[in-house]
Amino acid sequence: MTFLQVDPSVVAEGVNLLWVMVATFLVFFMHAGFGMLESGQVRSKNVANQLTKNVLTWGVGVLAYFVVGVGISAVVAGVTSGSGVSLASAYAYYTGGSTAWASILFGAAFSMVAASIVSGAVAERAQLRGYLLFTVLVGALIYPVATGLTWGGGFLATLGFQDFAGAAVVHMTGGVCGLVAAYIVGPRVDKFNDDGSPNVIPGHSLPYAILGTLILAFGWYGFNVGTAVNVFQVTDAGELALADYAYAGRVAINTALVMATGSIGAAAVSVLRSGKVDSLMTANGLLAGLVSVCSIAAVASWPATLVVGFIAGVQVVLVFDLLEKFGIDDVCAVFPVHGSAGALSALAYPFVNTTSAFSISQLGIQAVGVVVLALWAAAITFAIYGLLKALGWARVSAEHEREGLDSSEHGIVTYPEFGDNSVGSAGRTTSTTAADGSGVADDD
Amino acid sequence: MTDIEMVVAYIRPDSLGAVKQAVAEAGAPSITVSNVSGRGSQPAKKGQWRGEEYTVDLHQKTKVECVVADVDGHDVADAIREAAHTGDPGDGKIFILPVDDAIQVRTGKTGPEAV
Repeated sequence: MTFLQVDPSVVAEGVNLLWVMVATFLVFFMHAGFGMLESGQVRSKNVANQLTKNVLTWGVGVLAYFVVGVGISAVVAGVTSGSGVSLASAYAYYTGGSTAWASILFGAAFSMVAASIVSGAVAERAQLRGYLLFTVLVGALIYPVATGLTWGGGFLATLGFQDFAGAAVVHMTGGVCGLVAAYIVGPRVDKFNDDGSPNVIPGHSLPYAILGTLILAFGWYGFNVGTAVNVFQVTDAGELALADYAYAGRVAINTALVMATGSIGAAAVSVLRSGKVDSLMTANGLLAGLVSVCSIAAVASWPATLVVGFIAGVQVVLVFDLLEKFGIDDVCAVFPVHGSAGALSALAYPFVNTTSAFSISQLGIQAVGVVVLALWAAAITFAIYGLLKALGWARVSAEHEREGLDSSEHGIVTYPEFGDNSVGSAGRTTSTTAADGSGVADDD
Repeated sequence: MTDIEMVVAYIRPDSLGAVKQAVAEAGAPSITVSNVSGRGSQPAKKGQWRGEEYTVDLHQKTKVECVVADVDGHDVADAIREAAHTGDPGDGKIFILPVDDAIQVRTGKTGPEAV
């Protein structure tokens, strides 16, 4: 770099900033994916409600994360690592300046991925205000504690817990929150019969669900490859050198390839079961594959990634069945896709790590990390949603649920051309539930 | 009572094109068509959502309404039947109903003239 009068540290900082912003914007775009994925899986009477939740997840969640959560994360890291922390230093980022804020925004985008997962689990019956209050607490408390324990340098980090892009920190935390919230809120009306057998409630738009899946996959490149956050570093000799970008290509190829076996694994199970390739299950499998690569993307070989992704795709189907056996109505299958696949990824780490040999102790550490994060997410969600339920804020009334949340909670008809909703018509005020024993409760 | 008749047919959606042509050839080109679902002799089929099967016994059908005055309703019904027939359960049903009166909105004409 002698031919130009440039300061290599400025080049490094500029390029690193550019990359973190690009990655952040990709992760932000995952909200479009969540919006489409979830709204496609709900009935046409609940679409606007689902999308409103998706918009306000960012609305209230990012505010809570920025104003409160970032500091909580630092406090948790300081306290649990024993290094100590002052409240003033934890919240010094309020005046942190441009570069610090870019980094915080990257974290904020991740935090809202965790928060966004929950709305899919409690879809079609959760009250908006209760959900929003929970989202505030995800941004301010639940997610920051998870990052404080891990990436922030807290207790699990001192143990040596490894979670590169957040299979456990982001996805499993969000997935467990969704699972417990769905359990406490209770299943949708008509989801389970008196004998506990489940009814199938098809969503209204497979195209939306698949579009959402692929938008999420696109954003996931930012989520995973962006976690290789520093492009350049300045060596002691004062020269520019690759930093995290030395392994970014490995992260990228693993992220791309894991979608293959995730989707193939889920599709294979559906073929074995019904002789047909199920579209939504295949899409869910692709996402579970992406979750399953988050912990390992930077260190796994590509063949090992394929194996982990295949397991992730297969388990989506099995875990979803298990939830239904327990009477849990996880509308968008968020626990199989984010929760169990996230745990799988963190636990797979010592088996696929090419940078060091397998060790039982690392597996133990990974297990401790998974258990601690899952217990935290489960316990706090149990407490918060338990309180919301006691307040009557957890779910809408059965009448509103039958009518649909769009109309009853928002006064909106998402698809006026589908029903008797034109101006001047009497409208359709009573639900038309088919009592034909067909096992279908659709609103069309 | 006039000699106005209404022919109502529930047919397979994919036979609509043939039925439209057939009723036109029978001298009754004016029709109203709507999408409906219903249950008849057609066996239930399996639907699938995230790999879970469920039973669909309400089948998508097309309802064709055709009001005639100077054409015999049975001729129209025969034309529809011929065009909609495949021989498999689910081909549909045709009903012929007497009509009390008819009024043309634009002109105010009533009776057979309005049809």
